[in-house]
Amino acid sequence: MAAAVAASWNPLRMSGTPLPIPVLLLAKLVALSLLLTNHQRLLPDPFLPFIPIDALAFSKAFQWTMKAVFIAAAIALLFNRAVRLSALVLGSTILLAVVSSKAYYGNNKTMCGIALVLAGLWEPKLGTAFLRLQFALVYFGAGLNKLLDPDWQTGQFFHHWAGSRLQQPVYLTLSPLLPDLALAKLFCYSTIAIELALAVMLLYRPALPWALWLNVLFQASLLEFTGTTFTMFFYVMEAMVLAFVTWPRELLVLFDGDCGICNDIRRWWGRMDFDRVSDWQPFQRGAGDRFGIAREALEQRVHVAVDGRIYAGFRACKMVLLYNPAMYLVLAALIALPPESWRTWRRLLVAGVMAFFFPAFNFVGELVYNWVARNRYRFSNQGACTVDISRGTQSR
Amino acid sequence: MNWRWVPAAALLLFQMGAILYARTVPSRYFCWAPFDMQTEYTADVTVNGRELTAREIQQRYRRPKKGVDNRSVQHVIDMFEQTERRYHGGDDTRITLRYRVNGHRPGEWQWPPR
Repeated sequence: MAAAVAASWNPLRMSGTPLPIPVLLLAKLVALSLLLTNHQRLLPDPFLPFIPIDALAFSKAFQWTMKAVFIAAAIALLFNRAVRLSALVLGSTILLAVVSSKAYYGNNKTMCGIALVLAGLWEPKLGTAFLRLQFALVYFGAGLNKLLDPDWQTGQFFHHWAGSRLQQPVYLTLSPLLPDLALAKLFCYSTIAIELALAVMLLYRPALPWALWLNVLFQASLLEFTGTTFTMFFYVMEAMVLAFVTWPRELLVLFDGDCGICNDIRRWWGRMDFDRVSDWQPFQRGAGDRFGIAREALEQRVHVAVDGRIYAGFRACKMVLLYNPAMYLVLAALIALPPESWRTWRRLLVAGVMAFFFPAFNFVGELVYNWVARNRYRFSNQGACTVDISRGTQSR
Repeated sequence: MNWRWVPAAALLLFQMGAILYARTVPSRYFCWAPFDMQTEYTADVTVNGRELTAREIQQRYRRPKKGVDNRSVQHVIDMFEQTERRYHGGDDTRITLRYRVNGHRPGEWQWPPR
């Protein structure tokens, strides 16, 4: 892995900056989503501010300055220029906009601003402690507020929101089959329980991986249910997860060097792996010997060693994808670029990604992988496999 | 102590305070209550004897004449009330705001208060 390289102008590259890859990835994902959703058009002139800055005589100048700084900081961040300062400036600009106008104020904008500021303030001694506290605080506030709200206790909020406002077909179909408000209550209390549980789990380090998964599922299910990203909320809450990922020091891909398609994929992936996270080695060179993987297993399936932990087949492919930062930026762009009305697109895309990466999908993924592996010699005219893969598979 | 801890800790402490403060007031600013309330409202505004159009209401209050807000109902009321107090103290303004929170029976708020 590249660690001490100069910062690149390539926006899909993350290494070589003062911020670690996961924290920079969080900041870049938020910046990219803000730019692609044309957020700068919403930045306000001072109007009913929380702090007395509307006394500024040049309110239009204030607004245009904010827009210019916002765009410059977001672009600088994406192109790896002074990333720490860029994140701080971009986040501070959003927070300044939030406190300068009640018309602009919103939870999603506040969260974007704080996430960027905390990313910019990252420092090695504390790691992601402040980001984790922030994450927990959001869920604690949200859960507590709902828990104490009578309309959430009775289910009235959800009944009105899903039934009248969203006219959500699943809710409208199932709700009449159950006692009055029963389904609405179930949704209300499930939401409260998930949010409060997340607040606790995020603070309890051993439960952190589960909390991150639960957050991803929770935010994705909200998108599936409503078809919306709640402006910026979906992007920033999903991007937060990545800040806590431990990026591997070594990701070794052990592939079949005699296989044409395997070499094609290695070359193609090499062009996509801008941070040179993964190191592809033909198993025939003995690169897997130190992990003690049986040669027969290596002949049958691709293996990936992530800091010494071994994955094979479909799981190995997922690891290679998950540890490529560029993938997340491309995914965010695919969600954010289409107009707001493309709800079906967002639902299908997010559902597809969730299914692909969710462990429960491994069974299907392995079936597809094994079929491809068995037929790999047919997919490339550049040589064929010399190994017998018709026998059963085995992985460690 | 590294200077970066100070603003980071201050941000978190402010939010903790806001979460607690929100328990004592009807508004829900900075307490992480997204989409916790659905307020449907319609505003009728007369300024110095003339009724404002939907466009004029949008320009004056930065809110549509008729809309839905997913924050506290107090946020909508604040927008109308504070605009009058802060920017249009000299106008003879009459506002009638009819609203429904989470589908409940309609409520009404008026300016100036009676």
